[in-house]
Amino acid sequence: MFFTFKIFAIENIDERVKKLTLELRCMTCQNQSIYDSDAEFSNDIKKIVKNKLKAGESEQDIKKFLVERYGEYILFRPLMNYNNIFLWSFPFILLIIGLFFVLIRSKGNKV
Amino acid sequence: MSSLVGFLSLVFAIGINFYLFLSRYIFKFKKQKFNLFIRLSSLLTLLSFFSLMYAYVVSDFSNYNVFQNSHSNKPLIYKISGTWGNHEGSMLLWLSILSIFSFFFSFTKNIDESFQRLTLIIQSLLHILFGLFIVFTSNPFLVNSILVNEGLGLNPILQDPGLAVHPPILYAGYVGYSIVFSIAIAGLFQNTDDEWLYVAKKWSLISWTFLTGGIALGSYWAYYELGWGGWWFWDPVENISLMPWIAGLALVHSLMMVRGEQAIKKWIVFLSILCFSLSVFGTFLVRSGILTSVHSFAADASRGIFILLIFFIVTGFGFLVFLLKEPKKSNALNLLFINKVSALVINNILMIIATLTILLGTIYPIIIEVLYNKRISVGGPYFNSTVIPIMIPGFLLMSVAPILSWQTNKINNSKKYVLAFIVLSVLVLIQSYFLDFNTWGFVGLLLGFWIILASIIAIFSSYKIKINIKFFKIINPHVAHIGVGIAIIGITCSSIFQNELDFNLNEGDKFIVNGKTVLFEKIETTNEINFQSLRGKFLFDIEKNRSKEIEAGKNYYPVSKMITSEAGILHQWNKDIYFILGDQKNNEWFVKVLINPFVSFIWLGVIIMMYSGLIAVSRR
Repeated sequence: MFFTFKIFAIENIDERVKKLTLELRCMTCQNQSIYDSDAEFSNDIKKIVKNKLKAGESEQDIKKFLVERYGEYILFRPLMNYNNIFLWSFPFILLIIGLFFVLIRSKGNKV
Repeated sequence: MSSLVGFLSLVFAIGINFYLFLSRYIFKFKKQKFNLFIRLSSLLTLLSFFSLMYAYVVSDFSNYNVFQNSHSNKPLIYKISGTWGNHEGSMLLWLSILSIFSFFFSFTKNIDESFQRLTLIIQSLLHILFGLFIVFTSNPFLVNSILVNEGLGLNPILQDPGLAVHPPILYAGYVGYSIVFSIAIAGLFQNTDDEWLYVAKKWSLISWTFLTGGIALGSYWAYYELGWGGWWFWDPVENISLMPWIAGLALVHSLMMVRGEQAIKKWIVFLSILCFSLSVFGTFLVRSGILTSVHSFAADASRGIFILLIFFIVTGFGFLVFLLKEPKKSNALNLLFINKVSALVINNILMIIATLTILLGTIYPIIIEVLYNKRISVGGPYFNSTVIPIMIPGFLLMSVAPILSWQTNKINNSKKYVLAFIVLSVLVLIQSYFLDFNTWGFVGLLLGFWIILASIIAIFSSYKIKINIKFFKIINPHVAHIGVGIAIIGITCSSIFQNELDFNLNEGDKFIVNGKTVLFEKIETTNEINFQSLRGKFLFDIEKNRSKEIEAGKNYYPVSKMITSEAGILHQWNKDIYFILGDQKNNEWFVKVLINPFVSFIWLGVIIMMYSGLIAVSRR
């Protein structure tokens, strides 16, 4: 059941354009995604993304292409690379610290 | 003239606070006189604020600030709201609200006299700090050096009734935490009994309720004024208001479990300082212009440095006192496997992780830019995939937390809850197969319905149902959580099951939205007092007699040469139909229609949360 839904999702190219452009920043607007924006820049990128998806390029390839052209600033979802390792691991480090705190506290209290 | 009155009263108010601070260590005031001076300084600050407002209302362009930010042919309400629609005025509003809080705090009864005085002295220090900031870097009472009879106008995007009242309410939330901060610091210095915790609880609930209202108004404004169909964009300015909100929520919850436990007291003081620090930090970031934002109306960065300085003074002072004077004798917490205390501790930990993650995500682009001279964005996708998963255990827990016992490990009627959860999961699963299955949609709906259902079961099986005020106070925590559940359903549906339809239309065309025929009647342009409007008129559901008219379009503001979009929204209880008029190409108009299911649930949920915030103020 899950599988059929997934296949269905991949077939629909407009959905894929939407998913990808929602995660891209319109460089000429104020903090708006390319999908939401009607600026000229955004419409151009939407076309590029659509054509590239039709040509069979993967999302990763398209993102890479856009980053080379416009810089990482265009990505709303920061890359998981060396520079951003702290950004992505931070919440989970905190979560582990929190868990430790609870465990230590409750250990001392066992009746 | 009004500018002179305003400036003088501002300076006098600061002077009084200086005097109070000095006199505490030189003279010994009687209480009556001390409070009298506090109230006098509050009234003077308000006088200063209202004289600025007066200058705006009468369009006194000899005031440089009015000249820069107002225009004589604006409707009266926007002349009034123009007072805080700019940096200087909004800082004065900040200070005025600070002194209003001091004013009301000076009337608090049932509180140790010297404790109250110490709290007010700390308020005075804050007043001096921010007052000097206004006088030296952001004086709204400067005289215009040239003689003019027209002003430059207010940013048209701010000319909206929602946004006119949004800043005062949001600021009331931010600044309300100043009192909580002062109480906590005073509590550290005096550290006598626990009475101050109840006072702190009251004020932090008030601030939190205001902050909730302010944030909700802001996002409702974004919903209908930006015309993008969404209401939350993980925009830096939104994140900044969310941080003290979550920290404040953690504070309110930990104040529930004050039972003389020192470890918690320490934590409460920490949260109180954190909340106010985040509020000041928020003001700094919004006003400094460092962040790019949809809500950006910031001025130059040199003032930002001053606010940053104030931020470091306040935070540094707060945490320094915290470290030097921390409450003694830390009793160990009674963390049995499942009891109320451990539920609240887990909730607090999760909320703090969420706050810190939002904080890091918001300032990370700045850090990277400073370190590597590279611009990156941290946007919605980051927050969605970090903050939301972290909050999920909290959402699961909150449904039953209020009925957990303080001491033991037992949940009454636990079988009922397990059964309800299983039935609910199956129902939501079946339901989501009929729509497109979506993992987040499934999780969100399940959580929302689970919180509501479990709270209702808890109310009916734990208390005797009576219709009186006392009963509503007892079930208040459940009511608040039902509000959260309703909001989660609204958030999930409107963001995940949003439907979009695009049309290219001529006037007179008919098209189908949601099974109903819509007529694109005509395009109309009109000239209003301060803008030109372009409206597409639509008739929704023309086959019925009770067809509804919807207008969507754009406004052009000639004074500031800006175009704003005005979405046309048809509100129904279970969905909003959201019309956006695009551009005209080849004689056809581009029309985008969004169907946002259950958006109204978000606002309903928020209203319920605010209601129970207010109820909780009156409950000890």
